[in-house]
Amino acid sequence: MSEEPRLSHERSLEHPIIWVGVIGATLGSIVLLDRVAWLALPLILAVVLYYLVQPFLVRLQHAGVLPNQALMIFLVLASFVCVVASLTVLPAMFNSLARFQSELPDTMQRLTKIASEFLQSVENRLPLAKRAGLASGMEARLDFFAQGKGTQFAGDAALFAFKWLPSLLLVPFLTFFFLRDAAAFHRLVMRAVPNAFFEKTLLLFDRMDRQMRAYFRGMFWLTVLDTITLGLGLWLLGLGQNIFSFQHAMLLGLICAVFAWVPYVGTAVGGVIAVCVCALQAPHSPQLIMGVVFLFLGVRLLDEFLYTPMTVGRALHMHPLVTVMMIFAGGMLGGVYGLLLAMPLLGIFTVLGQMFGEIWFDPRLRARHSARNLLEKRLASNDLEI
Amino acid sequence: MKLWNFLRPPPLDPKLKVVGATAIFRDCSRQELEILKLYLHERHYLAGEIVFDEGEEGEGVYIVLSGKFVATRKGMLKRKKIGEILPGECFGEIALLEATPRLATVVAEESSVVLAMFRPELERLAEARPRLGFKLAMQVARLIAVRLRRMVEGTGESQVLS
Repeated sequence: MSEEPRLSHERSLEHPIIWVGVIGATLGSIVLLDRVAWLALPLILAVVLYYLVQPFLVRLQHAGVLPNQALMIFLVLASFVCVVASLTVLPAMFNSLARFQSELPDTMQRLTKIASEFLQSVENRLPLAKRAGLASGMEARLDFFAQGKGTQFAGDAALFAFKWLPSLLLVPFLTFFFLRDAAAFHRLVMRAVPNAFFEKTLLLFDRMDRQMRAYFRGMFWLTVLDTITLGLGLWLLGLGQNIFSFQHAMLLGLICAVFAWVPYVGTAVGGVIAVCVCALQAPHSPQLIMGVVFLFLGVRLLDEFLYTPMTVGRALHMHPLVTVMMIFAGGMLGGVYGLLLAMPLLGIFTVLGQMFGEIWFDPRLRARHSARNLLEKRLASNDLEI
Repeated sequence: MKLWNFLRPPPLDPKLKVVGATAIFRDCSRQELEILKLYLHERHYLAGEIVFDEGEEGEGVYIVLSGKFVATRKGMLKRKKIGEILPGECFGEIALLEATPRLATVVAEESSVVLAMFRPELERLAEARPRLGFKLAMQVARLIAVRLRRMVEGTGESQVLS
């Protein structure tokens, strides 16, 4: 039985230096990005937008429009959407935020009551839980949150927005230049690469570009699919008891789908949020809460076996243990950034590591590079009679 | 007449003129050549420097702007020269279609300048502009067909490249 021949870039990752470097570079980048978050956030958002907008520009070019014209058409459309959104959606959002602020203390009280009632019923059934003081501990923590940060939510949100506004204004600016000058910038970077490594480096950039494009587009479509599935599921579950309007169910679905960006952990957090919302809306309906739990389990299975292979694919080829360890390490080092960026950064550095290994451990390429240096030296000292 | 000169397009970049004269890019319009410019990488080679080795996985085509290159293949006893590549000619075009091993080693015989085009970039260009992609693919196929015919007809290996 002969073994399947493996590609050279797969073999290059076997070198321990490479995979230690990949993990180190991923965690190092998370720390660095967390330190310069004011710049990293708009940069990352601009890259994501670049990959989401690019297919639209390609379609326009497909229809015969020149690249610069396609960009102008997109700019006009985007400006129009922004103006319409700022006139319609934003005022509604601010109104909702103000209402949420006024209802928050009452909501927190209700949530505390529901949670403590539930935990007390658990304590009555399990003596171990009673000894641990689950209900009293939880009540104290929720009270602390309600008296501290919870009641100043709108003020905090306004301060947060004010702090990040200048940084976020950079996003459209950066995206525009990425869309306009990406090819020219790519050529500029390639000029610095020595001749011997030129083709391999081009291949590296191409693989990295494909990986990032597939990841961001896949994540976008995964979010859309999760939002629709969760939103429809929540709406149908609450239909009999009139719990959610269609828009609210979809909004909750969207929030949970965004949480699901963090693999494994995110779905659980989204599920807890949805359960809390359902518990608040219908506190005496355990069937509904069980229904929500089963909905989230079902969506997790759909994600795993249908949606993810359809959208993001299994491009990263990571073992689940490595994935979870990297997510937790990322979260520990870079907080929310780390949680969200751990997997895409790991994917990028894996490709970089593979290609670096392929280039650096190829003796022929290094010999060609040395030969070029010798030729350069000889040419420079030709008339010096050394 | 000078009053209307501003309506005329600026003269074509001399490098693009050379590109437009090569076998692969011959059918491209001026507008298409301007678009292609974004995908061409200029590389400078010293006399004696290797561009690529025989058997190495090929990733793109090279168009000679200036200088001279020599293509050689491994023989029974020593390397066999199979041709010279001069300005306005291109080499490595099979790599535009598939990542196959290079058929020859190409070395710069004098200080030379080339423009390189990479296969994945051509694929992306063809995705955005299918008509241009089709034209280039057809020209590459024609060029390879001509070379294959010459080989089958028994033309000397040194003339196959020209």
